[in-house]
Amino acid sequence: MARIAGVNIPTAKRVPIALTYITGIGNSSAQAICEAVGIDASRRVNELSDAEVLAVREHIDANYTVEGDLRRDVQMNVKRLMDLGCYRGLRHRRNLPVRGQRTHTNARTRKGPAKAIAGKKK
Amino acid sequence: MSRSVWKGPFVDSYVLKKAEASRESGRNEVIKIWSRRSTILPQFVGLTFGVYNGHKHIPVNVSEEMIGQKFGEYSPTRTYYGHAADKKAKRK
Repeated sequence: MARIAGVNIPTAKRVPIALTYITGIGNSSAQAICEAVGIDASRRVNELSDAEVLAVREHIDANYTVEGDLRRDVQMNVKRLMDLGCYRGLRHRRNLPVRGQRTHTNARTRKGPAKAIAGKKK
Repeated sequence: MSRSVWKGPFVDSYVLKKAEASRESGRNEVIKIWSRRSTILPQFVGLTFGVYNGHKHIPVNVSEEMIGQKFGEYSPTRTYYGHAADKKAKRK
């Protein structure tokens, strides 16, 4: 079991895949990390030596914002918009799409599950 | 796509003039503007603008964080109070 960036314990998967279990690290940055630390992409996490795990951990600490820090950053950005009173902030407050999408239909990701309107059909 | 840097920020010239005039007069009164499309510049910080939303002028106190955004973003054009409960549905 390897602990990288706090609580994340990726399993017996290939290293680039396992790294994507960390919030803030996707496919491309996971591959970039492997390359920078010099780990072959076909190797698995349980094959790594302690030194290699340490190298990965240090590389992430030095170069990426991940997990709690990242979530807090995002939260702060949203909060800033809400406090400003600008249009994007208003949309965040009402939980509606922020980037000009239609809301007549769809927009279910932001609005949540559809609520039935009583007596709408005749 | 974002605006080319070499053009500089877009501001309607009358906004600049009005802002400057109010700066010099020193009195902090609402500057009425209709130009929702103008960029908020650093020299506008601290001034209060009345940004028109098609109905009336919404007072916007410009702060440092607003720089680079447009005036229109601070003056919502739509009013929506939510749907009232359907009367027909209640009767049934």
